[in-house]
Amino acid sequence: MKNPFEAFHHTGARKREIPLDTILKSKEETLSKILTGYEDLLKNEAKDLVWLMQYSTVIKAYSIAEKGIEGLEYTAEDIEEFCYALDHSDQIPYLITGPAGIYISALCNHAQEQEICLHLRDLTVKINLLGYRLPTDKKLMVQGNVGDFTGIGLDGGELIIEGSGKNYTGAGMKRGKIVVRHNLGFNTGHGMTGGELMVGGRIKGLGKIVGGKLYERDQLIFPNEGIKPFYV
Amino acid sequence: MKNGHYQARIRAIYNFISDNLYLNRPDIEIKGEQFNSTLLFGLLTGLNRGKALIIGEPGLGKTTSAEYVGSILYRYPLGIVWGSEVSGHPEQTEEKIIGRPHLGELNKGKEKVVWSDFAQIPVKIVDEINRLPETKQSMILNGVDRGNWEYLNEILINDEYSLFATANYQDRGTNTIIAPLIDRFDCLIESRHPGSNIAYTIGKEALVHHPLRHPQYEKELHQILRGDKPYEEKMTLAEGVCDLFGEYLKEQLGLEGLNKEERTHINEEMLGLNFDIDTNAFVRMMLAELSFCHKYGQKRSVETCEDGCHYSGYLCHHIKNCASNRLPMSMRKYAQSLAWFLEDDGVDLEHIRLIIPYTLAHRIQWKDSYLSKKEGEGRNDPFQIYLVKAAAEEAFQRYNEQREYLLEALSVGYRAFAGEEVTPLEGDHPIYEEIKKDIGGKDEKSL
Repeated sequence: MKNPFEAFHHTGARKREIPLDTILKSKEETLSKILTGYEDLLKNEAKDLVWLMQYSTVIKAYSIAEKGIEGLEYTAEDIEEFCYALDHSDQIPYLITGPAGIYISALCNHAQEQEICLHLRDLTVKINLLGYRLPTDKKLMVQGNVGDFTGIGLDGGELIIEGSGKNYTGAGMKRGKIVVRHNLGFNTGHGMTGGELMVGGRIKGLGKIVGGKLYERDQLIFPNEGIKPFYV
Repeated sequence: MKNGHYQARIRAIYNFISDNLYLNRPDIEIKGEQFNSTLLFGLLTGLNRGKALIIGEPGLGKTTSAEYVGSILYRYPLGIVWGSEVSGHPEQTEEKIIGRPHLGELNKGKEKVVWSDFAQIPVKIVDEINRLPETKQSMILNGVDRGNWEYLNEILINDEYSLFATANYQDRGTNTIIAPLIDRFDCLIESRHPGSNIAYTIGKEALVHHPLRHPQYEKELHQILRGDKPYEEKMTLAEGVCDLFGEYLKEQLGLEGLNKEERTHINEEMLGLNFDIDTNAFVRMMLAELSFCHKYGQKRSVETCEDGCHYSGYLCHHIKNCASNRLPMSMRKYAQSLAWFLEDDGVDLEHIRLIIPYTLAHRIQWKDSYLSKKEGEGRNDPFQIYLVKAAAEEAFQRYNEQREYLLEALSVGYRAFAGEEVTPLEGDHPIYEEIKKDIGGKDEKSL
């Protein structure tokens, strides 16, 4: 008798490929490359699982991050995917929020899109250093709360935080604009030399501000008569 | 399949009938193109030598659509098609449908049959088939099924024919079409109302001379069909007149019908179109649901399965009868025809999903409980077709959910059937049980 399953001789292992499969495969490949770059950064910068936040270490980490993502094609969605992978995935052995923030900032600064929106409300950790060196013509919107050192060294870009930040937000920013919908911590605007920092909620404490403008609940609090510039 | 020459001719016929003779609304869509189901299935029936049952309200073009399709496709003048039609009514006789004794020869003591035009020509139309009493429906079973017409001691075998039968909805004058007869139809389609706006335009431009009539050729064909020559010889002569009528159609209307050789060639092309692996597996899955019974081994219309059955979520639980072997044949034939018509390289899921409701609707006997549950639902199709469309979509969803696993199970089935020591895959669908039965696995339920 003829085998009634003749047509299925070779079908067992064969998978049907639909366009979604191709998209997912490509996404997975991109994420995998992004993760590799992040792991390289950790290997170089956080060998003992300790990362000290210093001016020089940030600059060095950022240049390593830039090298890691060189030639990589990705979208804002991939950056968001990476943020969630940092938080939930077992693909990454550990999360250190400093290098992670620098790496995400490098990704944002070199992304093709001019406007990037990261939905990070569901993240259990608060990423530090988001928006580092955000250049002119870039707009980064973050949905959710962020950690320390947000928007430091801002370089003309626009950073909008739909949530709260922690300490040292806008530290050392040169130009550009940071908008925080809710509250900020201590040392806000420490060492900033230009640009605008607008906070919709409360600021726990200001740092030593050099220049620029700082608003709290629509009120200009720096420069004003009560708070003098650091250099004065 | 990129030949396209014949397909362009068939499309031209579709467009001509649709624009001029059988005004309609498109009611089905495939691969981005919209078609009227009655006309499309009518053409496919003519092309693949199928059998179509056309239902609908009186006066909505059931017979007319079949006449036009048959006349143009087979190049028989409309008068011949009209003359060969069999009307279903209680007083209909075998002598009028199939043939009668030659009275002159009978007087000489010789038995000779004068075959009816209906039995002889390849375009066969039975008008209002459900007005034939059930006892008389049996007379045409063999003819409908195989093209074998018997009378006295003679037999006439059609080597090609397409059959169109029309049926009104049930009224006082209609009878039930007996199950063996209805199963012999490949597809069921509804000739629908075209809508008030199109209906208003019908008959606005009255035709003095019907474009598909040709009295001279009709007369010649009548003479050939009534002649004493052997059937094959008559058909050769008739084909010659059809060629002339075909040229007339080409000159007057720009339409090119098909001669016998072309029809045969097209059928060969259609048969060469293979089902892709998904379509193959999906059809098997459907057939399993339509024939499987966990308790009694297979569906039988005399046995009813119980409510607590494990497979109560599948079609087998909602139907009374078992799918006949004519069902897969019809599905295959029409899916191949559709793929050919659309100039596709093979039969895929889109073709089969469109075909299934029309080839299955008349063959399923639903349980009363299922009918009462569904009858109140809003719909656009006749109830029979609506039920099968919904059921087929549910089955398709099940197929998509189980696709990878099912293909694996069928692949394992192949290896097991070939004698390899493999364990058949278990699954929550009748198809897995059927695979096990085919590879000789023990039927755990048999007592």
